[in-house]
Amino acid sequence: MMKERASLTLLLAFYCFAFIGMPIFSAAQEPEKPALTPRIITATKQVTMFSGIEKQMLQAVEKKDKAALEAMLTEDCNLHLPDADLLAGEDWLASVMSKDFVLKSFMIRQLDVADLGNAAVVSYDRVQESTHKGQNDGGEFYVVDLWKKDRDNWKLSDRYVSKVSSTPYMPKGPIKPTGKQ
Amino acid sequence: MRFPLGKIRYFLVFLFVILAANFLVAQKIRDNNAGPGEQMVPNGDGSAHAAARPTGQTVVQGNGINYHNGPVLKGNPVPIYIIWYGNWTNGPKPSDSAATVSLIETFLASNALGGSSYEAINTTYGDTTGNVSGHLNFSGAVFDNYSAGTKFGDRSLPGIVSRGISAGLPNDPNGVYLVLTSSDVSETSGFCRTYCGFHTHNTINGNDLKYAYIGNVDKCPSGCEIQSTGPNSPATGVGGADGMSNVITHETEEAITDPDLNAWFDSSGNEDADKCNFKFGPTKTAANGAKFNQTFGGLNWMIQMEWENSRGGGCDQTLGGAFFTN
Repeated sequence: MMKERASLTLLLAFYCFAFIGMPIFSAAQEPEKPALTPRIITATKQVTMFSGIEKQMLQAVEKKDKAALEAMLTEDCNLHLPDADLLAGEDWLASVMSKDFVLKSFMIRQLDVADLGNAAVVSYDRVQESTHKGQNDGGEFYVVDLWKKDRDNWKLSDRYVSKVSSTPYMPKGPIKPTGKQ
Repeated sequence: MRFPLGKIRYFLVFLFVILAANFLVAQKIRDNNAGPGEQMVPNGDGSAHAAARPTGQTVVQGNGINYHNGPVLKGNPVPIYIIWYGNWTNGPKPSDSAATVSLIETFLASNALGGSSYEAINTTYGDTTGNVSGHLNFSGAVFDNYSAGTKFGDRSLPGIVSRGISAGLPNDPNGVYLVLTSSDVSETSGFCRTYCGFHTHNTINGNDLKYAYIGNVDKCPSGCEIQSTGPNSPATGVGGADGMSNVITHETEEAITDPDLNAWFDSSGNEDADKCNFKFGPTKTAANGAKFNQTFGGLNWMIQMEWENSRGGGCDQTLGGAFFTN
């Protein structure tokens, strides 16, 4: 009888947590996100330009074009990853150029640019299908890039990457416009 | 005190049933079965459906842009309505003026952009029942004195369009409404930072209305203007009206060929004007030093090229003209 009562009390506590505690706990973790409005934008000049540059960079990774990628990085380029030491640009270059890493496809969306004159902060969502040593290494990433102007070219100085999800939805057919590409 | 074990048991069983029912209702079957040769189109919620293939002779494919079975606007001409929002008499920037109002309304007339060989590029798009006419016409305007304040987001736009209809514009699902804001108005979803304008559609006053938002680009010349002084600028550095005419061109082209966001766009989600964004082709120089690439309605204009859906596809300045990459 006592054991049964104890287990019932535990069950009650679980339900209380599931119904009341969990929603409160979850809601407290992040601010409410504004909903995405389906619309098609005329991108600003900066968004148009950096969409092209970011795409070029990913195409260089896809094609293992080391020279092209290297030309887009500053000498002291760094990558910042959560729960990891700083990764030097040259080490990142070596890792994405190695045969172990294969970038199969990618998609950039929600690109935004803060133009600071000779520097620009570019943020976007990147969805990629890729493997590392044959294992799935793809996912959805939130990327913030700091670009610096070097004469007439833009070079990547710092990249901050956070993984949003390991199992992104990568459309197989045409992408329906959302206006936020 | 006696513990009511029996009642608690019933209560817990009841809770379990409610939870299970909630779980089942929340499920949605993903219908991702594409037939041979079919492409999948995402619905935006993680599911997808097979893209329909064109069936009519009016739909031409294989020119770098694809048809996705939605309707186009086929009015001859397509009516364009303007809601001048904010202060268009003497706003904070010199281009927040009656001169801009007059210039934009002239620009959209049937004897200007509306009947130009540039607009005719749009005739290369159609749906299963016919082609775009290649004609548009300015068909009415109202002024809105900050009915949603000086700062608003996308959700305020249907209300602004609705109030425009109450103020005298027709309720027309075959037209395009332009909400044009003076430079002291902020569209908080990214005007000037991410975009210079956008188009969309919504059910407003019982109809599926197509509308676009375009702000006075003098608010951010570095992001949204190709030159600070345009061919029609009343003074040096007052390029807002010319800059807006470029964005208006972009939005009207797209609102006509992809009014419900389900007709014409490429595999990356780019619509016809997106494919030539900020690409102007060869230019000439006006007396005031500004560059221009079009002449119609008795004036010179600097507007981006348009993607022609024929001859393999490309950006050009007139229907059948040479393609240019920049």
